[in-house]
Amino acid sequence: MAEAIDYFQFVLAPQMVIGLVLGIAVILVALGLTIIFGLLDVINMSHGEFYALGAFLSVSLAALGVPFWLLLVLVPALMLPIGYIVERVLIQRVFHSPDRHVTTLLLTFGFGLVLEDVFRLIWGPNPLRPDMPISGAVEIAGLFLPLYRVFMIGVGVLIIIGTALVVYRTRIGAMVRAAAFDRNMAASLGVPVQLVYAGAFAFGVSLAGLAGVLLAPIYSVFPTMGRDFILMAFTVVIVGGMGSIAGAVIAGLFLTQVQAIASLYISPVWADPIVFGIMVIMLMVRPQGLFGRLGHA
Amino acid sequence: MRDALTNSMRASHLLALLLVVFALITAAVGVAMNDTFYLRLATEALIFAGLALSVDILLGYTGLLSLGQALYFGLGAYISALTLMQVPSFWLALLVAILSGLALGLVGGFIALRVRGVYFALITFGLAQVVAKIIYNTRALGASDGMTGVPIINVNLGFTSISSASPAGFFLVVLTVTMALYAIAAYLLDTPFGRLLIAIKANDRRVPFLGYKATTLRLGSYVMAATIATVSGALYPMLRGFVSPELLFFATSGNAVITVILGGVGTLVGALYGSILLTVIKSVIGSWTEHHLIIIGLLFMSAVIFFPQGLMGVVRPKVAKWLSRGGTS
Repeated sequence: MAEAIDYFQFVLAPQMVIGLVLGIAVILVALGLTIIFGLLDVINMSHGEFYALGAFLSVSLAALGVPFWLLLVLVPALMLPIGYIVERVLIQRVFHSPDRHVTTLLLTFGFGLVLEDVFRLIWGPNPLRPDMPISGAVEIAGLFLPLYRVFMIGVGVLIIIGTALVVYRTRIGAMVRAAAFDRNMAASLGVPVQLVYAGAFAFGVSLAGLAGVLLAPIYSVFPTMGRDFILMAFTVVIVGGMGSIAGAVIAGLFLTQVQAIASLYISPVWADPIVFGIMVIMLMVRPQGLFGRLGHA
Repeated sequence: MRDALTNSMRASHLLALLLVVFALITAAVGVAMNDTFYLRLATEALIFAGLALSVDILLGYTGLLSLGQALYFGLGAYISALTLMQVPSFWLALLVAILSGLALGLVGGFIALRVRGVYFALITFGLAQVVAKIIYNTRALGASDGMTGVPIINVNLGFTSISSASPAGFFLVVLTVTMALYAIAAYLLDTPFGRLLIAIKANDRRVPFLGYKATTLRLGSYVMAATIATVSGALYPMLRGFVSPELLFFATSGNAVITVILGGVGTLVGALYGSILLTVIKSVIGSWTEHHLIIIGLLFMSAVIFFPQGLMGVVRPKVAKWLSRGGTS
């Protein structure tokens, strides 16, 4: 019995916390993806690059002497107009083409390529390592946890709850859900659909940027950092159900825990195929995911 | 009276023939100038043209966007490398690639074709990533380094044999294989089976009422595309002497999609021209900056926005018009 407790305390629990930190970050990225898909029907292939952009902006601003707490506000605020412009200038251009899914996917894929190379041009190809903004550790129930990770989990949970409240409990959220459910009906009832679309895209992109700020001190910052991460985020969105906020949260927590715990028993490099395997199986048996779409449930 | 489709396919064939003539001239010039680098580059462009061809069959004819076609290309390369290391025979490697392409296509199609639209794009993306990661971490397959030491082979043609080390000779071998793949694809897509694929793309709900099963047809096109990608991949280690997991990565699949969009979706010959175009752009830009992705990305984006029909989508109708005028007079 004591062995089991020791095992839990020294082996299992720390691994689960690592998984939880990753899970929160993945959920932040996946939330943006899922809202953009649920509302605009657009698969944003450049979402990973927006996440990287957030991380790069935070590194540069921190070098200018901007304190970390301000970065948490400033970077997402900077990402909003960028996202807004991308939606209005790029996405809207092909939004009404007959094959919207494919066209927007290709367009954002191309945009991601450009962004990635722009990062390489500005910040160089080598990984940057920002300083840990909060050092030290804290003991919770016999577990020693780095303070920054605890902070990250706290901030992440607040943002996730905040997003859900905005979408489900405010007038703006009602407009978003109405536009997702029936675009034409919403427009005829006076919902500024164009603005809602661009706004939701900007919001999703800025969430990805925030995840970039939060994760930059834990992982290093490099031009292709979005690539590996976006795969996980897509997996979460698919398993949770495209366009479902609750689905993204549950699938995000579940899949990152599976990955973290599986890493204990098998080589960590094999944990990734397990997670993708879950996605493939999910797509085979229940392509709509765990939960329904935004505005439909 | 020929219908519009036959006419445009004839235009494709003419453009393909033009490409062959152009390629033969290139080979002759290459031999005359004793060049190795550019002939090898052109050979690689033709190999990747095969991969793009398979993407076009799915996207242009069946209406399925595959973001993981590099899966078959990469597996073809690994299978061919493993075969050649045991028995250095071109024909055996080709045969093994065709058979494994058919088998892999059936398995992959069984998984991926359960879903449609964006889900198909994402499941193919996921499948390729899973397999790429597995190979990346398998020491027996060289893990992240890939496998080197694929022997130089002699392509035995009965009357003569061509060494894969000969730049011009192997260029002609690859040209022949790629054009054969084009011809097979064009032939199959011109049969009633091909017409039904186009019907599925246009409206997949009506096709069952004509008495055909959309799933079987889709599987047919998927297996065909997978086999073409596998065979193209099988040529890669013969050219470069090594294989690496990058061949299965998303960058390779993405490149094939870019190739098809730039070249012209649904024209088949566009995949070939697109691959050459992309290779030329890359090496020209690459000579003065390493940031070629910005240019390629911008070019690709503007193609998606302004020229969704691509290069051959613009050129081919003109050729078709010229051809039909020639036919009636």
